[in-house]
Amino acid sequence: MDVPAIEAQGLCKSYKSFRRPRSVVLKDISLKIEPGEIFGLLGPNGSGKTTLISIFSTLIYPDRGRLKVLGLDSRKSRDAIRKVINISTAKPNFPWSLTVRENLRHYAMLYGMYGPELSRAVADVMDAFALEEYRDVTFEDLSTGLKQRLALAKAMLNRPKLLFLDEPTTGLDPEMANKTRQLVRSIHEDGISVVLSTHYMPEAEVLCDRIAFLRKGVVVALDTPQNLKGHLRLGERVVIVYEGPADLSRLKEDPGIMSVKSEPGRAEFVVDKSSESLDRIVKQFSKARIKDIAVKEPDLEDVFLELAR
Amino acid sequence: MSWRGELNKYLASAYKNWLIAKRNVFTLFELFFWPMISLLSIGLLTRFLQVGPDMVSFLLVGAIALTILQVAQIDVAYVLLFDMWSKSIKNTFIAPVESYHLVFGALVFGIVRGSFVFAILAVVSRYLFGFDFLAGGPLMVAIFLSGVFAVAAVIGMTVCISILTFGQKADVAAWSLSGLILLVSGIYYPVDVLPYALQVVAKAIPLTYFLEYYRSAYIPGSYNLALGATLAAAYLILGLILLQISIERARRTGILLRLSE
Repeated sequence: MDVPAIEAQGLCKSYKSFRRPRSVVLKDISLKIEPGEIFGLLGPNGSGKTTLISIFSTLIYPDRGRLKVLGLDSRKSRDAIRKVINISTAKPNFPWSLTVRENLRHYAMLYGMYGPELSRAVADVMDAFALEEYRDVTFEDLSTGLKQRLALAKAMLNRPKLLFLDEPTTGLDPEMANKTRQLVRSIHEDGISVVLSTHYMPEAEVLCDRIAFLRKGVVVALDTPQNLKGHLRLGERVVIVYEGPADLSRLKEDPGIMSVKSEPGRAEFVVDKSSESLDRIVKQFSKARIKDIAVKEPDLEDVFLELAR
Repeated sequence: MSWRGELNKYLASAYKNWLIAKRNVFTLFELFFWPMISLLSIGLLTRFLQVGPDMVSFLLVGAIALTILQVAQIDVAYVLLFDMWSKSIKNTFIAPVESYHLVFGALVFGIVRGSFVFAILAVVSRYLFGFDFLAGGPLMVAIFLSGVFAVAAVIGMTVCISILTFGQKADVAAWSLSGLILLVSGIYYPVDVLPYALQVVAKAIPLTYFLEYYRSAYIPGSYNLALGATLAAAYLILGLILLQISIERARRTGILLRLSE
């Protein structure tokens, strides 16, 4: 039977500093991540995403709470957990003067690989992440995108069952970010559970099966991207650019219209369903000349802004 | 896991240290320049002071012990220092490795480098100063070097513990701890000349006993090798325990994350 990738109950974490008061980073986090999921952790900077991923990966320990990773108790079976997980960190860093191949060999050795198994694992990940032609390039001479690819390759060396990706596309240009997302998808297609933190909404929307929104160390929402948009009743946005007079007072009382914002020559409406409200809205502009109408479905950016308030 | 897999966990640190060292031109300073400066300055000092053969052997043994200690201890400390400087410490501690894998792996490389430095200094001192470092025979040399390497491992671990406890600024400890050893363990003078309080400290440092043992090949005198070996073993075990505790503490306090930022 498949065990959950992560089962967390009441995780709390705070950092104590010598001169500053203790800062609480995570408060009572409880969540369950199913096997085979791509699970997203979203939130603004400082919301606790990296700390939570670091706790899930046993890199650091929580102050309180219980955690099971792939069914293994994080207190009793840390070594067993570390054998079957791996992480690609937000800012990929490796020993500077080691080449791509040497870095991979070094980390494969730390996982206890040797002989042909080690050589095959290194060759496989270099092939999978298109690093073969850079095998003899030192880390300090790699571009940001290649460093990110090396980080992902390193994270796949031990063929983990659960992979943590901390902001995997931060600092990458759009093309490279897109390639990285494709790599994440291909990793997932191999049956690996993925926990990914990001503050890029479109990335979470296209990659994640479910998303937890973190705000000030608390999970404020957890659902599929589609359900999150639906549950928050964010509605669709109708934007009309016009010239001439328009009476919008009636629309403010329309039950299908959730909000009306207007400025000279431009009006923005948030509606339940544009197909039902658009006709009533347009009628109010009968004496004006409509220059443009745009209808936009809510995206995670809207969800994020709503939840981050 | 097979023994070869387990062995590779140890050798990973040696492999990394070797690769970093071979690409760093300043490694030559660590292996040739400073050891030669140390040996030549002390050797020439003995000529200037026109001291007898006993005193020459006393000082040159001290010089070579300190040099090898510095080379080997920094290799053990490098296991964490390199990770800290390159901000890649997370990648090491996410892997299923223990503190002893890291320390002993790095020590292997330290032993190789230390032995290399010893060989060079032995040849140079024989030709320049007529002093034979191998006079006590290979077993004595092996025992003496084992003691020096054990103390080097303890100092290297102390540096790692300092970094994990106090953060990045503690790397200055890497460069100063061997200075303390220089002061109190009878490198250039007998511990008898130290104030009483420092003599007590000297007697708690294994290197003191290994120096007395090695010098006995040139200057007849008593030594307590068993006590030195016992102390070295005890400190190694204690160091490993404290290092493991400091790693666990760094995971609890989050210092491990800060060392990666």
